[in-house]
Amino acid sequence: MNVLEVRGATKTYDVGKTLVGAGRTLHALRGIDLAVRKGETLGLVGESGCGKSTLARLILGIEGPTSGNVTLAGKPVGGYGRLERAKLVQPVFQDPYSSLNPRMRIARIVAAPIEVRGIGTASSRRERVRAVMNAVGLPEHFTEVYPSQLSGGQRQRVAIARALVGEPEILVCDEPTSALDVSVQSQILNLLARLKRELGLTLILISHNLAVVHHLADRVAVMYLGRIVEHGPTEAIFGAPRHPYTAALLASVLSPRPGARLPEMRVGAEFPSPLAPPPGCAFHPRCPCAGEGCATIDPDETRDGPRGYRCHYPLAHA
Amino acid sequence: MTGPLLEVRGLKVEIAVPGGMTRPVRGVDFSVAAGETLAIVGESGCGKSLTSLAIMGLLPRAARLAAETIALKGLSLIGLSESGWRRLRGERIAMIFQDPMTALDPCYRIGDQMAEVLRQHRPVSAEAARQRALELLTRVGISSPEQRLTQFPHQLSGGLRQRVMIAMALLCEPELIIADEPTTALDVTIQAQILHLLAEIQRDTGIGLILISHDLGVVAGVAHRIAVMYGGEIVEIGERDAILGRPLHPYTEGLMHSIPVPGETRRGETLGFIPGTVPRQTGELTRCGFLERCPYATGRSAAGPVPLREAADGRLVRCVLPLDGSGRDPAAWTRQAEGV
Repeated sequence: MNVLEVRGATKTYDVGKTLVGAGRTLHALRGIDLAVRKGETLGLVGESGCGKSTLARLILGIEGPTSGNVTLAGKPVGGYGRLERAKLVQPVFQDPYSSLNPRMRIARIVAAPIEVRGIGTASSRRERVRAVMNAVGLPEHFTEVYPSQLSGGQRQRVAIARALVGEPEILVCDEPTSALDVSVQSQILNLLARLKRELGLTLILISHNLAVVHHLADRVAVMYLGRIVEHGPTEAIFGAPRHPYTAALLASVLSPRPGARLPEMRVGAEFPSPLAPPPGCAFHPRCPCAGEGCATIDPDETRDGPRGYRCHYPLAHA
Repeated sequence: MTGPLLEVRGLKVEIAVPGGMTRPVRGVDFSVAAGETLAIVGESGCGKSLTSLAIMGLLPRAARLAAETIALKGLSLIGLSESGWRRLRGERIAMIFQDPMTALDPCYRIGDQMAEVLRQHRPVSAEAARQRALELLTRVGISSPEQRLTQFPHQLSGGLRQRVMIAMALLCEPELIIADEPTTALDVTIQAQILHLLAEIQRDTGIGLILISHDLGVVAGVAHRIAVMYGGEIVEIGERDAILGRPLHPYTEGLMHSIPVPGETRRGETLGFIPGTVPRQTGELTRCGFLERCPYATGRSAAGPVPLREAADGRLVRCVLPLDGSGRDPAAWTRQAEGV
């Protein structure tokens, strides 16, 4: 069953509006369709400005879509009250230095989601906090310290504990390891992989780091300028991308192995402005495979078993 | 045989903090030859950025510098006057910073900023400066350079801004360029393009390049030699493929085991990690600086400060373990209790 469904969601923002000027429209999301099953990890990848964080905000109910709908557990996100929604979906943000209240002790930070919902008694909440801190690998004596006394990796564990304490249906992790050092990043990846295994978590993992997404995601959705241009099972997408943009992203992964060469990037450098999306396929100005029709006709999604892509000239199967 | 382009010996940086002194750089030795790329790799707080700032004479006021040698082609940079530094910076050593948006002045057009750098060092006319700026913007692969000259930094994309930074660094044909995390703020598709550009420029001009990065993937594609820093010291330095192929310092080894690589690491498999956190850099080291976090630590690691030793392939390693790589079990990196 799908815990999350997004149908035809768009999001636009009016920018640059002045008293006399009309301003312009920024197209952050231009029609997103997405379904996530319970227990599944969906990786959302794409360059900055592709709309992945806007999509996360819609899923979290921080903002509503301009058109289309976002359904959580069978009901539109907007139909839930704030506390009901918090029970269903919780965020983990990129920067654990700014996402934790510096004036609260860890125990209070972690307990906040169940405290505001008035779940249990003070002592049962304390018990729950202890259990969840244990689950994310934080020692018990950390309950009484402040965030400033913790390292980046420890803080990110606190953020994950806080997200998990109310047993949400979905965890939305927006670049959960990007602010961390390499050796710490791997600890958080191990933790998320373990929680996924043990708790059957449903995870939306947003990252620009393809290696991180490959490591954790069951399915991948590649976003470009407010659209999902390719999606499918992780192995299939990484094994044989059909969309040239996916291929470019995969090629850009730098290997630390000896003899690794810098990849030859065949895509143009300029990410287009979401204020003026190119006509036709939005990727065509950068695309090495662009041909007739790409500049004028917006490609519909082509389905291919469990995967789909939007491209007039898809790459061959491997 | 001529000497190295840049020679650094015994570089130390100390910073007074309330209640004592931190020692973020604890005696670093390396050299860079013309035409060579040396990558300095390490995690936050390892001292890599302060090392580069020391070479540029840009250390924060609170920092105290001590060194036996910092010399550019035999010219000592220690105790250089501010006017001496101003003649040197941009002219002979140039720097490329991580975030081109903060490194460029938002209030000046690209062309004016570039001309200012050039005319600081060369008695050239405004028109000649403009021509030189145009030439370099073209050189770094910027299309319609005439138009870019009149634009402000905020009108350019991140990748273009970094290309402008590189063009500015090249204005006076420096002998050494220091690039501090030059691609960290960029998207992955742009990253490879900027690294290609740096490598190409380095090949064509024969400058020395110091590339500072936390990302071993970035380093693998560009560097000739790698220096791995931990806790203010170089813990391993040598040829790129030797170090990446068979790291000998446990810290380097741990880093290599921490990185997921699509196609090599299995999905969801337990990755290696380095337990614990970087200790505060106070006091003199009386033992191996990596001891607390090292799965291979022995009694000898605690016996005293560990010197750099030369391994068979010529690299230097700061470790008491046998330098033939024997007696290690890489599974140690995943087996430890999940460190916090």
